[in-house]
Amino acid sequence: MNCRKFYTEHENASLEGFELEVRSEAADGVAIYRISGRLDAEAAASQGLQSAVGSAINGGNPRIIFDMRGVTLITSAGLRAVLVTAKQAAAANGGLAIFGVQSAVDEVFEISGLKQFISIALDEAEARSKLGA
Amino acid sequence: MKQLTLADEIVVLMLRDDTGEIEPARADCAHIAIAGGILMELSLLGRIDTDLSSLFIIDRNPVGDEFLDSVLREIAAEPMKRPSAWWIEQYVRHNGDVSRTVLRRLVEAGILRAEDRQFLWVFSRRAYPKNSGREEREAKARLMSVIFDDALPTPRDSLLLSLAEATGVLEGMLSSEEMRKASKRIADVLALEEISRAVRVVEANRRKALAAPVDWYVGMPRRTHD
Repeated sequence: MNCRKFYTEHENASLEGFELEVRSEAADGVAIYRISGRLDAEAAASQGLQSAVGSAINGGNPRIIFDMRGVTLITSAGLRAVLVTAKQAAAANGGLAIFGVQSAVDEVFEISGLKQFISIALDEAEARSKLGA
Repeated sequence: MKQLTLADEIVVLMLRDDTGEIEPARADCAHIAIAGGILMELSLLGRIDTDLSSLFIIDRNPVGDEFLDSVLREIAAEPMKRPSAWWIEQYVRHNGDVSRTVLRRLVEAGILRAEDRQFLWVFSRRAYPKNSGREEREAKARLMSVIFDDALPTPRDSLLLSLAEATGVLEGMLSSEEMRKASKRIADVLALEEISRAVRVVEANRRKALAAPVDWYVGMPRRTHD
């Protein structure tokens, strides 16, 4: 099996109480972002989540998985970052799948109807399957 | 003026081509849409954010547009976190005819022109016909693309769709058959953004208040017991 795996660890973004940690890895043509903390405007911007995902997509990894087991809260801006990622990935003939959604985040997903637009999986294996990986 | 704000765009869309005015019956929902549009713009510019219960400042730095910055200052000065719907209602209540402010901006930007027109030979009324109409055509093209394309809309376009739906612009653009076929898509897009949902709530409350039975004898809204 030919797979390439690497880990990139980002420093915690601790900006006056806003904390987001993002670890990225790529394997079998899928870029996985393991996210923990609050996914809001400042956290997403300071961690460069959007630009990191953009680089992955432009670099030939348009199949993206968000591991959100550690995400405790998501605001409108965080949701928007997820939607923009999904749009960019789809435009590059890839896609975005999410797994590990916690209850507080799931409530936001339900109310916003995000599940109409983005694949939500039970676990990483199902997320990969939804992306055809 | 740089890119039109969402408040600017919805006013352009609401202006009737024949009269150059917003229909008087829609004036109240124009104010709600403008207030919602300002919050939406501040959110897109990274100055505010929202969760399910409140709207909050994330960056107090001015954006360089006095219209938006005046609202940003007001939000920054409020000590309590309030929901988006509260801010929309506050703005509508305290700012009078905000549509005139937006119309002035659009005239200054050369998108509209101001004309004084007479009616009934005696009375005059100011109308705001569009100069080229390009901005309206572009906004409508984006809305049609959101409605009839399967792709995820951009955040800006999904917000504009919600303002168009709340103000009746969408009904004017689509036939009833098109509205019926697109209803699920429209509903799915409208739900995405929290401020869009808040605009719908405030507009629904406004319509409910208008429909409340009034005791004409006394001139007060009649109390109804649930």
